[in-house]
Amino acid sequence: MKGTSLELDGVSVQYGNTTALEAVSLSISAGERVGLVGPSGSGKTTLLRLLNGSVLPDQGDVHVSGSPLYTLSRTDLRRVRASIGFVYQDHRLVPNLQVSQNVIAGQLGRVSLLKSLRMMLFPSRVMVEKAHEILCRVGIGEKLFERTDHLSGGQQQRVAIARALFQEPQVLLADEPVSSVDPARAKDAVELLTRISREENLTLVMSLHNLDLAREYCERLIGLRRGRIVFDEPTSSIQESHFSELYRIGEGEMLADGA
Amino acid sequence: MRRQEDKGRSQEVQLLLAERPRNRFVRGSLYLLLALIMVSWTFGDLQVDELFSTHRLRNLNRFLSEVRPFPLHGKEWDWGVALSWAQEIFKREGLEATLSTLGISVVAILLAGFFGSLMALPAARNLACSEPFLPEIRPPPLRARVFYALLAPVTRFALILLRAIPEYIWAFILLAVMGPSAWPAIVALAIHNTGILGRLQAETVENVNPNPLSALRGLGGKRSQLAAVGLLPLLLPRGLLYLFYRWETCVREATVLGMLGFSSLGFWITDARARLQYDRFLFFVLLGAAVVLIGDFISAFLRRIVRKA
Repeated sequence: MKGTSLELDGVSVQYGNTTALEAVSLSISAGERVGLVGPSGSGKTTLLRLLNGSVLPDQGDVHVSGSPLYTLSRTDLRRVRASIGFVYQDHRLVPNLQVSQNVIAGQLGRVSLLKSLRMMLFPSRVMVEKAHEILCRVGIGEKLFERTDHLSGGQQQRVAIARALFQEPQVLLADEPVSSVDPARAKDAVELLTRISREENLTLVMSLHNLDLAREYCERLIGLRRGRIVFDEPTSSIQESHFSELYRIGEGEMLADGA
Repeated sequence: MRRQEDKGRSQEVQLLLAERPRNRFVRGSLYLLLALIMVSWTFGDLQVDELFSTHRLRNLNRFLSEVRPFPLHGKEWDWGVALSWAQEIFKREGLEATLSTLGISVVAILLAGFFGSLMALPAARNLACSEPFLPEIRPPPLRARVFYALLAPVTRFALILLRAIPEYIWAFILLAVMGPSAWPAIVALAIHNTGILGRLQAETVENVNPNPLSALRGLGGKRSQLAAVGLLPLLLPRGLLYLFYRWETCVREATVLGMLGFSSLGFWITDARARLQYDRFLFFVLLGAAVVLIGDFISAFLRRIVRKA
């Protein structure tokens, strides 16, 4: 069975004096679709970055598919990273490459330098057709040979998703996949991610500002506030009160919290 | 009442002015400069009238007469004769010298661009570290830590050495090693410009937007793959601008280096000077200027194309 389990074990992350995450533990089983919700600065992005090993916690452990991330050898870490697709909030594509090249770059973690150069400069027909197929799935097949920075923000978002899919990952992590598009497209993007994760049986973790979308498409929701987990429950048992608890910022409240 | 307040204020301003922070160094060097100017005017033996003495005027006259093309010595000026004279020299020596000057500069800058870009990678501190573009996931072994702590500084020092020695000196050394041909000039220019381009490219690598590269690292890219797939396209436009800019200098230097005995324009300039043929001397100097100008035009044209792309 495809998909990979993820586990955080008492993880704390600090950036200078600010605590991004504090003693967070959770486990996500293979194939689960999880939404991270919470106000800005609550630690959603940090949590996602922990899962693909691009943030080093001050305390605690991260396990991907049962193996602890921080004791892996270089080659094993590379293999784990290659199996995790990450869709960034700001896309992080190479702007002056063709769309097809950005998508094909998703395979970098699995090939040698020589092969990756050949893939970028003289991709085989099979590879280009596969990139085209994935781009069609995300709805921008006709952009295959355009320069990436000539695309709109929403289209670049889709290229980023396509790159993550071309990676043939076990896990899909998405950081605010809808922040750069209008509400209608936002729904499309989230639907796309969930549909793909269902079809391919991928573990999906995405952070979402939009609570309605989170409730509609995720089977489990984790609420974060000030670096701590406020709730972690199946979507069916989430009440309105959970959200109001999460987002309560009364006046004077911040002062009281800070004290 | 009002007047008194004003007075108080102006006193306060005076006080603040007296207490303002002053830079002793700037003041000191200004005074020193002033003193030096006075000393040099008073005690120096700079005499302006010497510049225009009759002796010099005679020299200038003789030079101007010798600069006249040989077939026109002591005759009326004739454009036709002058042009056919120039054409003759151009066909006999000028064309080949021009082409070899351009050839030397092109080969040299291609070599410098290649090796400079290669050396820029270990010289860039954001790439030459144990976990490029992402935070360290676990402490690297001591061996790796020492290696990466030294890699960038050592490479940068090597680049400094390459560019600290002028092209002319490199060519002089290489001439002794490689014997007289165009190669000492090519290699000399390539070495010096490798030092310069390597440093410039290292700076552009360090200033690159790290986000696309951290994404490639995050999906499992190796350092070399980040360089080839991420850095290369991101930095190509700027790198080409630097390359063309240095090529202009190379054209100029290739002319000068001929004075060491390579078949570029500089060689014919010294040759004509040694034979006291000042007409040919001037011809080759002007031809050299023309070549440099042409190089500048081509470079400016290519740079504009790159900037637009």
